[in-house]
Amino acid sequence: MNLLTRFLSWVKWMVKRQRLESEMETEVRFHLESRAADLVRKGLSQQEAMRQARIEFGGIESHKDAMRASVGVRWWGELGSDLRYGFRLLCKNPGFAAVAILTLALGVGANTAIFSIVNAVLLHSLPYRDPDRLVRAYFNEPGLGLRDVRFSKPEMDDLLTRSGVFEDVTPIFEGSENLTGAKQPERVEGVNTSFSYFSMLGVTPQIGRLYGPQDFVPGVAPVVVISDGLWHRAYGADPNVIGRTIRIDGDPVTIIGVLPRGFRHPGPTTSGDAEVFAAFGFIGAPFPPPLRGTRIFPNGIGRLKPGVTLKQAQARLTAMAAQLRRDFPADYAPQAQWTIEIQPLQETLVGNVRPMLLVLLGAVILIVFIVSLNIANLLLARASGRQQEMAMRLALGASRGRMVRQLLTESMLLSLIGGAAGIATAVGTLGFLLRFVPSNVPRLNEVRIDWVVLAFALLISILTGLVFGLAPALHSAKVALTSAIREGGRGSGYSTKTGRLRDVLIISELAFAVMLMVGAGLLLRTLRDLLQENPGFNPTQVVTANTWLGVPNDPKTDPYLGIPGKVAFDRELLRRMRAIPGVEFAAITSALPTTNSNPNAVGGLAIEGFAIEDRPVESSQDLRAERIRISPDYFKVLQATLLRGRSFTEGDEDGKQQVAIIDEATARKYWPDRDPLGRQVRFGKDPTKPWLTVVGIIRDIKNDGLDVDGVPHIFVSVYQDPNKQVSLVLRTSLPAALLEPQIRHEIQSIDPGLPVFNVSSMNRILDRSLASRRFSADLVGGFAGVALLLASIGIYGLLAYMVGQRSREISLRMALGARRWDVLKLILGRGVVLAGVGIVAGMIFSAATASLMASLLYGVRPHDLVVFLIVPLLLFAVAALASYIPARRATRVDPMRGLREA
Amino acid sequence: MGKQIDLLQGTLDMLILKAVSLGPLHGYGVLLRIQQISGEQLEIQQGSLYPALYRLEHQGWIASEWGESDNKRKAKFYSLTAAGRRQLHSETEKWNRMASLIASILRTTSEEI
Repeated sequence: MNLLTRFLSWVKWMVKRQRLESEMETEVRFHLESRAADLVRKGLSQQEAMRQARIEFGGIESHKDAMRASVGVRWWGELGSDLRYGFRLLCKNPGFAAVAILTLALGVGANTAIFSIVNAVLLHSLPYRDPDRLVRAYFNEPGLGLRDVRFSKPEMDDLLTRSGVFEDVTPIFEGSENLTGAKQPERVEGVNTSFSYFSMLGVTPQIGRLYGPQDFVPGVAPVVVISDGLWHRAYGADPNVIGRTIRIDGDPVTIIGVLPRGFRHPGPTTSGDAEVFAAFGFIGAPFPPPLRGTRIFPNGIGRLKPGVTLKQAQARLTAMAAQLRRDFPADYAPQAQWTIEIQPLQETLVGNVRPMLLVLLGAVILIVFIVSLNIANLLLARASGRQQEMAMRLALGASRGRMVRQLLTESMLLSLIGGAAGIATAVGTLGFLLRFVPSNVPRLNEVRIDWVVLAFALLISILTGLVFGLAPALHSAKVALTSAIREGGRGSGYSTKTGRLRDVLIISELAFAVMLMVGAGLLLRTLRDLLQENPGFNPTQVVTANTWLGVPNDPKTDPYLGIPGKVAFDRELLRRMRAIPGVEFAAITSALPTTNSNPNAVGGLAIEGFAIEDRPVESSQDLRAERIRISPDYFKVLQATLLRGRSFTEGDEDGKQQVAIIDEATARKYWPDRDPLGRQVRFGKDPTKPWLTVVGIIRDIKNDGLDVDGVPHIFVSVYQDPNKQVSLVLRTSLPAALLEPQIRHEIQSIDPGLPVFNVSSMNRILDRSLASRRFSADLVGGFAGVALLLASIGIYGLLAYMVGQRSREISLRMALGARRWDVLKLILGRGVVLAGVGIVAGMIFSAATASLMASLLYGVRPHDLVVFLIVPLLLFAVAALASYIPARRATRVDPMRGLREA
Repeated sequence: MGKQIDLLQGTLDMLILKAVSLGPLHGYGVLLRIQQISGEQLEIQQGSLYPALYRLEHQGWIASEWGESDNKRKAKFYSLTAAGRRQLHSETEKWNRMASLIASILRTTSEEI
């Protein structure tokens, strides 16, 4: 057929509807009058002729309708009337409409909100120029089981010049910096890179300019670019900030530009966004000579040349790494198998939150399924009541298809109203929801309800409308004619056909509820386990605070130069802390438990190479542990358990024997069959450094997160190996808020230029480290609760309806001698069987899909027996209760009623 | 008026195409032409002519144009399009094949089996 002709004709009709309607009228009238004129000629009277013409023509309206149908426009007219009818029906059943629209709003709203986060975080490209070409480079030593080790300036140059796949590469240093010059010294997150950082990302400044290759200096450029956030916070968005000199870690630097509002550094944000950007040349002072073995760069990102695919680049880099290993055997130990890996930058930023977001998305999709099954059930109950109406329509000549369409229009109307309510809910609550999203989810500032999200919401609404509308619609059309008219005024009984369909709906609803509950159970159990996990220390009544001594680029300006300068500060700080009334013990650490605050952290864990005295040098390559610098009372403050040996003392200072304390993990790993006490270790490869003697062993402390096990730690005395990152731990019964002003006062009495940040209780720190797990567990748990509620409403509704429909039968049974118990058994049994089938089906699905959640679980296997036992029991109990209520009502049916009516 | 034959299912379209192939006609004219050609032997429900006309126009086999009737009234005239001519041709062929086939079947006597 000629589709185009037909389409154009249809369009003509749609556009010129009014005119064509009147033309149709004219044409019919012309026919009638012509015919009448002919009839008059044959001798009929004018009036008689017109009557005769009309009779011969047949039903004018039905023919006109057929004419409209011929060109495909009748559909729209009918849609309008179906919609009006559907709307009137909804208004007539406000209770049903309210339940349906509210549950839909919940389902679609939750989907919209979660999808808006998924869309911004996982689906959107990064907001940089040609983001697909941006990659993160990892340097790995698979032979030692090490990923993401540091790299050197020559290795970076190899990426840029020798590999030939990169347009640009920059190392990235992320970390704390002290910003002074404003009212209060402030700790900010800083990013230090090479000069091409901004041109590589394709950023243009809000005001001023950004540094570029033309600013190159061998060492440190005396200029900085600041973020929009810092510009507003510290300088009141003053445009004259350009050219102003501020101090970063004591160094005077000039602000040359302000970044645009939406810009974010594409890296991990531990305590906030990066706010101060500076560039280094990395080949002159204060940097060490750029030797291949001097690996100082923690991270690197690069931009691939146009047209180079990730796969090609990776192949080239793998080959280059092999060549480098051959060319410089002294710098690459063969057993390390040093190599280079690249990953899309987007993947490195969002990869770790993907499982959580996908599980949340899965949960909301299950919820919307359950919601629509629930509504399908309500609709089906209503459809049974409407069989009379349907039968009448069929008898009057409506086609089945036409009826299905009418019912589908009604459910679509419902789903679109619910969907609109859901979108409105999501728009209204998104800001509120985002406050609870853990801050380790990147790119939250990009979350918004855009057209992709709206399209998704619309799709979900339409799909739910189809799901809950189709079954009842098809069903009604099939059943209507056969049963309703015959059964007359009395609503048809609980017919087997309706019953079976409703059973399937209820069973699916229960099965989906089981899946959600199993997921929630696993997450909640993980969370509970982690909350009860023994961190290896007692976090209650511990207050923590942090300061940062700053690393000026010119060592001569550093007030905390060398060991004596820093130790003097540490001792003075501890003296002042102990003097605060209410502080029992005070100690210093370089890495607060569960905060990943260790400045030497590589991929979150500070893993350093070390040597053991009586091991051959070659094998020392694979000795790695996290070094934590602590003051003597640290274990006393934390109430950690010293298993053997001794703690550090005030006497473990520079010039005395160097000492170390190891934890059980280190002892197990490196001295599995020997006593580690008295053995000697040394960090790094420098043979001139002194050996450290192991003097104590403590029980493992969960330093890297409650869900991280088995990382070996070596504790050293802060008096022998001090650090610029100073974290205080105080054992005190006072709350953190009360102590904060005193801590700030004492620290700034020593040095008014030091910032004091993140003063909080240790319990809050542990709590915050679980924020992301808590968020997903609470959310999925909440949805599981809703699912349980909806499923029990569903099963209650089904049985209540069944009791209503069968009340005559039940009363007859009772009149014929059935006992109350028999009746109870009849109804309750049905509910129990349905629940049982649904639960079993749900358990099978859950068992099949639970392993998808494995990466979100800790200490709980995906097929955890407890969860897989409690969930079915709970759901079964609720389902039995929901069945009992209608069952009991059934036993109260008056036996006489059946007899009277029979 | 002799005994009238009910229209066979699906043949109305073909008759309309044939009618307008002899020259543009308005709806009532189509009716008259068919009755005239058939020697007043076909009974067509007059109203059902129009949905058929609309359908044929929608399919692009006939085209319509407003014009003036013999009695100086505004009327819609239908004429055959090129596609309609091809359609009429193939329908005619199909009909003839069918008719001769059915006729030969009905002629069959017991000796011929």
